[in-house]
This record gives sequence, structure tokens and C-alpha cells, in this order.
Amino acid sequence: MIAAVAMFDTRGGALPDPEGGAPGGLKGGWYPFWSAAIATVALLVVAYRAGVAPGSSQAVFSGREGVMSVLALIVPMIALVVLMDRLLGLYISGALYLAWFGRAIGRYRWPWVAASAVVIPAILFVVFESFFRVALPKSIWYTLGLPF
Amino acid sequence: MEALGELARGFAIALDPFVFAMLTLGVVAGLVIGILPGLGGTSGVAILLPISIFVADQSTTAAIAMLAGIYWGAVFGGVVTSILFNIPGEPWSVALLFDGFPMAKRLGKPGLALTLAFTSSLFGAVIASVLFTFFALPLADLALGFGPAELFAVFMMAFATLVGLESGSPLKSIAMIGFGLLLASVGFDSITGEPRLTFGQIGLLSGIGFIPVTIGLFGIGEILASAEEAGVKYEQVAAKLGLKDLMESIGHLRRKFWMLVVNTLLGFWIGVLPGTGATPASFLSYGVARQYAPEKERANFGKGEPAGILAPQASANAASVGSLLPMITLGVPGSPTAAVIMAGLFVWGLTPGPLLFTENKDFVWGLIASIYLGNLIAFVICILATPFLASIMRAPYAVITPFIVLASIIGAYAVNTAMKDVFIVIIFGLIGYWLRKMKYPLAPLVVAIVLGDSTERELRKALIGSGSDPLVFFGSPFAAALSTIAIALFLLPLAQYLMRRRARGRAASAGPSEPPAP
Repeated sequence: MIAAVAMFDTRGGALPDPEGGAPGGLKGGWYPFWSAAIATVALLVVAYRAGVAPGSSQAVFSGREGVMSVLALIVPMIALVVLMDRLLGLYISGALYLAWFGRAIGRYRWPWVAASAVVIPAILFVVFESFFRVALPKSIWYTLGLPF
Repeated sequence: MEALGELARGFAIALDPFVFAMLTLGVVAGLVIGILPGLGGTSGVAILLPISIFVADQSTTAAIAMLAGIYWGAVFGGVVTSILFNIPGEPWSVALLFDGFPMAKRLGKPGLALTLAFTSSLFGAVIASVLFTFFALPLADLALGFGPAELFAVFMMAFATLVGLESGSPLKSIAMIGFGLLLASVGFDSITGEPRLTFGQIGLLSGIGFIPVTIGLFGIGEILASAEEAGVKYEQVAAKLGLKDLMESIGHLRRKFWMLVVNTLLGFWIGVLPGTGATPASFLSYGVARQYAPEKERANFGKGEPAGILAPQASANAASVGSLLPMITLGVPGSPTAAVIMAGLFVWGLTPGPLLFTENKDFVWGLIASIYLGNLIAFVICILATPFLASIMRAPYAVITPFIVLASIIGAYAVNTAMKDVFIVIIFGLIGYWLRKMKYPLAPLVVAIVLGDSTERELRKALIGSGSDPLVFFGSPFAAALSTIAIALFLLPLAQYLMRRRARGRAASAGPSEPPAP
């Protein structure tokens, strides 16, 4: 479907145009149009063959437990990225993420959880901000003088 | 054998304590940069360029040895995160995700996977250095004869060898290549400057970077897939002593000697070609190694096949050595990293080109000797560190998983310091997970995203140069030969399919009917 939308968006450049003003006779849309066309045609054939192949259908997910264990990873990951963007920055949200993971999934004791949540972001801070001068996202308190 | 005498003199220069110390410093910095996600060899060299000016005041050979050392170190270091965490440390180690990580995790042999990569890296570097030593000037001249049409054919060959990869259906591979090329074309068209497929989003004008896409597809996608397979538990990976892995790697190297020589030569040549570098070389070699593997081994590609680690890595390192050749001899950098090193040469007051070989002999031969030494230093450090690195794989799941997630996010963000890339990582993590479920091969998709831009550029440059005559792809002997090989490789799966069908048809008409293959 994505490929079909892309084909529609770039249809203007689909045909080679040797007489027109485009450099090399190809407009900007030629390449994405035909890339999308290749993908669409190949996927249609795959879908057709899957449709006619007898009895090969299989459940996509391996039970409720499997879905839950994947969701247990996806949800905190999305929370991490959302909090990181313009709110808590990488270091604080990273610490929270590490703490959550260690406690909820690893079932480690609190002292270990706290230590990993402090030490790993601290190492990242020293390596990236001090050594290599790569500025990673900061929290909203950065402008008030907090270094991370 | 004048070159041998010059090389000996070069070694004397490179073994000078100051030059050697700077070389070692560069290699160590390169290893760290290679391992850290988001920092590449190119940016590593660029970051340390100002320091090199102070070093060049003492000795320009020490300065170039340091910068080139970063490059060698990064080639070795990029291996580590690819194999251990399924996150590419460098663009040219993307090809190691296909077999390196499966060997480390599924087969439980992280030490062997790392050692194979390091050994083949050294192998590629040494052969490439020998070529550099003896044939620098004639090879550089030959490379200038390679125009856009020839380069386009080389890229097509890389795609063609990947059709039908991971023993899946060739159609799925073709669909993935089309999808990858499509993603690569998002953003400004580099020739006409018009925005494509941006749907009015300003953030998409700069395109979809292949680094965050690859990190998402492989790093995050794998984490999600394995969480479901094993529940949220950790599978123990057996640790082995380094020496045994080293002997086993050398054994594999000996068995695959000629395949590796061919791929090293191929990688070196692609590196010498202007503007290509180690990344396309590694992909092409992976495809070639798979295409010419015996039937039984071919099925193991994508599941931890040793040749799938040896070939791309030997080729990548040979290409990075090769990319310095046109830079030194002609002043045309063979890769982005070589371009930054060339900037260093100008800053130190040297002009790259054929005259460098006569006017600054010490510099050139010191550099060539430092290529041998730098790669050797990187190899020794890596082999010594392998048991420690492999033991990281035994860290508990609840420690390693959040670490990989954080490393993926930092790696994506640090390249352009853009949150957009972090979102791309997450989105493509989910896409990668879904594609794994649907049994779509990821390798052709990644190769198409990485090489898509260059392929389109060379295609259109060739057409512009020829006044839009499509016969330009058969216009020179090189181009005609390469294009014919590429077309033949594309048609191979179709021919195989038709032959199988015919054979099945014959069998069906001879005996009782059998169910069609899925």
C-alpha cells in the first residue's frame, strides 16, 4: 500500500522524457516510481501465491504470552523516546528506563537497580559530552543550569 | 624491486618511536570510535583533524599515520557491535549483521564470530597493502577509466547477487529491494533539487538515513523478535578461550582461501574507484560469497555461516586500504573517510598527486608501511580483547537489553543530532519485527537503502553524460561486461525457477501427483 501511494505521488516522472528539459531525460520521479512499481508487482505476486498455496496459513503470533512479552518491550521503549524528546533528555529518561527494566524484568534488588541507573548514564555522559563533544538531548532543566 | 627497498625505508620511518606512538594512538581511538554507536570513522577522523595539525608540526608522517590509524581502528571496531548487539558500529559492518550476529547468538559462538571477522580483516588489509605497495600508480590510472555507467553496473551486480538471499523467495527479495530503493529516494533529488515523497513534511526533505533504518530493522527488530521467541528470558552463550577460536578461524580462512583472495581483490578495486568505499564492497562480497558457495553452505547464509563473515569483512578492509590509493596518487578520494584525510594533507601543506611519490618519498612510504603496522596493531588488540568482548554476551538479559536500546537510540541521534532519526529507529524496529514474522529477507532491503542513492546518481550521471542514450551501459568494454554479468545474475533465479518447474512437470506426468512447493 505504501508503495502504491508512492507510485501515485511520483507518477509525474514515470515515463522517460528524452525530448524535455529534464537532465539525462529522467525527471526526479522516475527512479522512485519504478522502485515502487517493482515492490508493488513483486508483493502482488507474493500475495497471489500465498492465496493459492494450500493450507500453509499459520498464526502470526505465538499465543498471548508472546504478545505480552513483546508489548513489555515496546511500551517502555516508546515511553523512553517520548520522555526524551524535549522533556527529560536522554540521561534522565535513560536512567528511568534502566531502573524500570532492572526492577520489573530483571527483578534485581533496589541498590543494584539504583547503581546501574546512575552509573551507565554517567559513563555515557562523560564519553559523549566530554570526550567526543557530541551533544545528546538534555532535559528541560538544562537551561536552568543542570548539566544534563 | 625498487618498491621493496622503498618499503623497507618506509618501515624504518613508521617504526620511529614518535610515528609509532601516534599510529597506535590513532588505532586505539579508531577502535573506540568504531565500537561507539553513531560515531563513524569519517567523523572520528574529522574530530581529531585539529590535533593532527600539532602532530604534523613534528612530523607529517606521524600525522597521516594517526589519521589513517583511526580509519583502520574503526574498520576493526565496527565489527564488535554488529556481531554482539546486532547494531552496526559502522556502515561497512552492516553486512556482518547477516551472519555475524546469528553466529554469536543462535550458534552461541561470539568469540569465533569476532575472531573470524578480525582475522579476515587483517587478511584483506595485508593483501590490499601489498597491491598498494607495488601497483599504486597504474591502478589509479585504470580507476579513472571507470565512469558512472561502469559504477552503475557494479551496484546492479551487488543487488543481483542478493536476489533470493536467506534462502527465501526471490520475489520477496525483489520486493524488498524495490522498497529499499524507494526509501532511499525520499527527500531532495540530488540532480534536479526537487523534493520527492516528502508529502509536505519538512523533516523528510533531508531523506531517510540508512543508519537509523538499519539500527531499527536489526537492533530493535531482533530484540522484539527474540523476546517473543524465548519469552523475556536470556539464553546463555557458552564462553570459549580465545586461542581455540583463533585456530578455528585460521582453519576456515585456509579452506576459503581463494574465495577470500577473490573478494579481497574485488573489495580493493571497489575501494580504489572514486567515491565508493568499503560499504558497497562489503555487500558485493557478501553476495558473491553466497552466490558461489556450494549448495549445502548456501542454505546456511543468514544463519551464521563463517564465509558470510569472512568475505564482507576482508573486502571492507581491502576497500578502505584501496580508498587511500587514488587519494594519494591522484588527489581523488576513494571514500568519505579518505576525503577527510585528504583535507588533512592540504592543512599540513602537502598536495596529493603523482608528484607526492617523487617529492615526498618519506611521507608516502612511511604511510604505506603504517598501513601494514596499523592493521597489525588493531588485530593484536582485538584478538587480545575478544574473550572479554565475548563475555559481554553472557550479561543478563535485563542488563543487556536496555543497554542495546539506549545504544541504538544514541547511535541514531548522534549522526545528525536529530530526534527524527530516533523515531525512525523505533518505527523501523516495529517494521523489522513484522518483516521477520512475515519471513521477508532484511538484507536486500538494507543493501538497497544504503546503495540506493549512489545507484540512482550514477544511473542519471551516465544518462546525462551520454545525452540520455541508454546504450551507454554497454558503451565501453568494461561497462558492457559488467552490465551483462549483472543482467545474467538477475535472470539466474528465474531460470532456476523455470528449470525446477519443468523438472517437476516432467516428474508429475511420469508418476503420481505431488503437492506443489510452497
